[in-house]
Amino acid sequence: MKYRRLLILLVLMIPLHPAMAADDSLIPGDLMNEIGYGAIIAMLALFIVAMLVLLRALRVLTKITLRAQGYTEEQIIAEMKPAKKVKKPKTEVWNKLLSLRPMSEEKELIIAHDYDGIQELNNPIPGWFSYLFYITIIFAIGYILIYHVFGVGQLQYDEYKTEMAQADIAKKEYLSKAANRVDETTVKLVTDQAVLASGQAVFKQSCVPCHGDHAQGVVGPNLTDDYWLHGGKINDVFKTIKYGVQAKGMPNWEKQLSPKQISDVANYIKSLHGSNPANPKEPQGEKDADDVAAKGKTIAKI
Amino acid sequence: MQPENFYYDNKIVRNFGIATVIWGIIGMTVGLIVAIQLYSPGMNMGNQYTTFGRIRPLHTNAVIFAFVGNAIFMGVYYSLQRLLKARMFSDALSQIHFWGWQLIIVSAVITLPLGLTTSHEYAELEWPIDIAITLIWVVFGINMFGTIFKRRERHLYVAIWFYIATFVTIAVLHIVNSFELPVSAFKSYMVYAGVQDALVQWWYGHNAVAFFLTTPYLGMMYYFLPKMANRPIYSYKLSILHFWALIFIYIWAGPHHLLYTTLPGWAQSLGVAFSIMLLAPSWGGMINGLLTLRGAWDKVRDDVILKFMVVGLTAYGMATFEGPMLSLKQVNAIGHFTDWIIAHVHVGALGWNGFLTFAILYWLIPRIYKTQLYSKKMASFHFWIGTLGILFYAVPMYWAGFTQGLMLKEFTPEGILKYPAFLETTMRILPMHVMRSVGGGLYLLGVIVMAYNLCRTALQGKLVANEPAQAMPLPALSTTGHEETWHRVLERRPIQMMIAALLVILVGTFIELMPTLTISSNIPTIAAVKPYTPLELQGRDLYIREGCSNCHSQTVRPFRSETERYGEYSKAGEFVYDHPFLWGSKRTGPDLAREGGKYGNAWHYNHLMDPRLMSPGSIMPNYDWLLTQNLDTATTAAKIKAMRTLGVPYPEGYEKIANNDLSKQEKEIADNLYNDHIKVKNNKEIVALIAYLQRLGTDIKASKTAAK
Repeated sequence: MKYRRLLILLVLMIPLHPAMAADDSLIPGDLMNEIGYGAIIAMLALFIVAMLVLLRALRVLTKITLRAQGYTEEQIIAEMKPAKKVKKPKTEVWNKLLSLRPMSEEKELIIAHDYDGIQELNNPIPGWFSYLFYITIIFAIGYILIYHVFGVGQLQYDEYKTEMAQADIAKKEYLSKAANRVDETTVKLVTDQAVLASGQAVFKQSCVPCHGDHAQGVVGPNLTDDYWLHGGKINDVFKTIKYGVQAKGMPNWEKQLSPKQISDVANYIKSLHGSNPANPKEPQGEKDADDVAAKGKTIAKI
Repeated sequence: MQPENFYYDNKIVRNFGIATVIWGIIGMTVGLIVAIQLYSPGMNMGNQYTTFGRIRPLHTNAVIFAFVGNAIFMGVYYSLQRLLKARMFSDALSQIHFWGWQLIIVSAVITLPLGLTTSHEYAELEWPIDIAITLIWVVFGINMFGTIFKRRERHLYVAIWFYIATFVTIAVLHIVNSFELPVSAFKSYMVYAGVQDALVQWWYGHNAVAFFLTTPYLGMMYYFLPKMANRPIYSYKLSILHFWALIFIYIWAGPHHLLYTTLPGWAQSLGVAFSIMLLAPSWGGMINGLLTLRGAWDKVRDDVILKFMVVGLTAYGMATFEGPMLSLKQVNAIGHFTDWIIAHVHVGALGWNGFLTFAILYWLIPRIYKTQLYSKKMASFHFWIGTLGILFYAVPMYWAGFTQGLMLKEFTPEGILKYPAFLETTMRILPMHVMRSVGGGLYLLGVIVMAYNLCRTALQGKLVANEPAQAMPLPALSTTGHEETWHRVLERRPIQMMIAALLVILVGTFIELMPTLTISSNIPTIAAVKPYTPLELQGRDLYIREGCSNCHSQTVRPFRSETERYGEYSKAGEFVYDHPFLWGSKRTGPDLAREGGKYGNAWHYNHLMDPRLMSPGSIMPNYDWLLTQNLDTATTAAKIKAMRTLGVPYPEGYEKIANNDLSKQEKEIADNLYNDHIKVKNNKEIVALIAYLQRLGTDIKASKTAAK
């Protein structure tokens, strides 16, 4: 009884576990989980040990009781061994399950005909086979009814609408919490090392094939010179990356990069200005006054 | 009455047997090469004729029609004669059938690497070969029915029902799926377009599996298994039920290949419902086979042939369980377009078709050579290495399929794709592809060992080309007759049986195909969708020639993960001028339905020249010959004319001036490339292909309101 209570308590505790992990805990979530799993496994192991102990105790108890009743050692051993059930041969259970007739009756089932020596038996169709067939037929009819007669199930375009609506809600909820929600109007020029490092990683992964490994320009334009095709302000660069420029072959990255990533890579690109890489592509677009001024400043600083 | 003496024709059986082994090795070797190309693109050996897009169809055609096809004819020619107690109807027809079929395969081996293809999967061969296939198939039919008519056995055994259903259904499938309008000697356009073409193709494709890879093999199983195990067939009643149920239901299941496409919803749902109902009839064959082994399981332990049969039947059971599960749309949403499907078909092909074929070869060759198998040990080795090969093949592919399917659907909490670059998911599964080719290699090794073993067997024996046999002639049917079931009556009427089978398969065919092919409201038109320009049309034919659709689909399914990745989901009206449709069935690379305008011309130029320049790590082969080969514009007029015949609204007489428009567009693209420092002559093939790629999916972007 005691153990059963313990077990129930244990089972009840499993779903409680995440709730107990307070949000402001100092231990990271992953570690928390691992501790949790360890605890559950330890408890389960303990439970098994407890059960084994209990079993052993019961056996000892039985022995003592029997001895007190005057049984001899042999009688006790005989009593402790459970009576062997007369097991049905395995095949018989199997046969029943598959509704097979015993092999001994096979002769009665042979159809009096053969094809090149091949005979056929007149066995009935196995019951479980028929039921499987009926169930699939019911499923099929139900499927058509649900999707096309009662209109309960959603067909693909409704499914899509639902999926998109749910995603929209989830996204809004997430972004309302997230602090780093930037767009082309709010993006700020920063020179923070962490931002630039993150931007560099994005650049390496997504921009290098067209703009070159040092942004010197390959298929796409040189990003390190003073000239910009679509504006050189941080807001413009952000916008160009986000929406792309279809006519020039610049893909839009809105759906592949998060706003934070776009902001980071835009800042990284701005940071490359004036880096004078080898084999630069010739200037394209208009000279940006700010850039020239900025360059002047940097040079002056040096 | 005196018993009659006659001879079984064993030579034709032997010939088909040799062809089976040779084509099997060739087909599987090509398969191994394409498998290696998927992680090492350099294995295309640097030329267009052995590039994935062209030789993947060669692999599928070789294993389906050459390996399995010849095995079917071997099994049918052996069992039919014995089940009917008669020699084949005509030795001449047998010869024509044999050599005709080999010629068709040789022509496939030549034309497919040349890029002559219809792009319809498992029906890639161009129209002259289609006609040849039809003729040879008719020869086979005449030979089979001729034999049936001169039989010395009143009733047809269950194996022959399956052969008859195979014959009549393949004829219908092949003819309907080969409605092509020839443009030149080796180029044609499918009569159907877009959604309709897709439906016809997958009605065909699915039932090619049903009636080429399944029903004839079930027929062969019904003859060879009881012979091998020396046991009676478990249940005659089950044979009847599962035969009719199987052929009736199978024909409906095709649309499950087109779930979440623009195929009308009702057709998709019918496909799903019938696929689920297909489970029991498919299993009927497996159950009847495995229960036939009742009382002979002790033999399975010692007899390698029976081992092959048992694993074959089990693989059949697994594949036919998985099929209905994959047709459920929730499962299909993950599995479709991934390696999961590749694993699924190979469990069927390697396990069921392969192992049954090997068992029959091991059983039959020693018999027609009046000798014993040269080495049982080698056969046993073949069994184990083959089984291991299947496991090494299937398990990594399932793993790869799940991995990629799930990765492609994953979003970050910010609401953007976790793996926006398709390539990242491809690179993740490359180790699994390596494992798969190891599995395939092991399997092929087993087949080579078998070939050697059978060769030595044949050398130590002597072919009994004409095997003497004796049987009583058929007595006149007594009119007084005793009670017979309706089916028993049908079993002695081959023509009625063929008509019955035909009617049974036509029900599903008509109900599914007819409304889509004839009722225009099933395919809403979109005003903004215009025919391809001459250059784009030429580019499209290059896309077909290079077999791009073997790796790239052209249909965006209505899932968030796909509309975010590729753009707006596809609409039926976008494909009305697509003769043939090019939706594909596998995404080894990303979908291209909305490729137009996504990247610049220069990107495409560099990417086709060497994909790794633009997408580091890509496994796409280089298409550098497109840079040097000239576009053949002599065909433009014929192509425009053919398209107009098929209902594409090019103005009357446009074919005469089409090449002017073509040159103009070529110049635009070449000039644009020149601005990016790429010098290319206007008339190179790559210009046409870029024109086509830049057109893909753009019509609807031009006018979004019309799409709604």
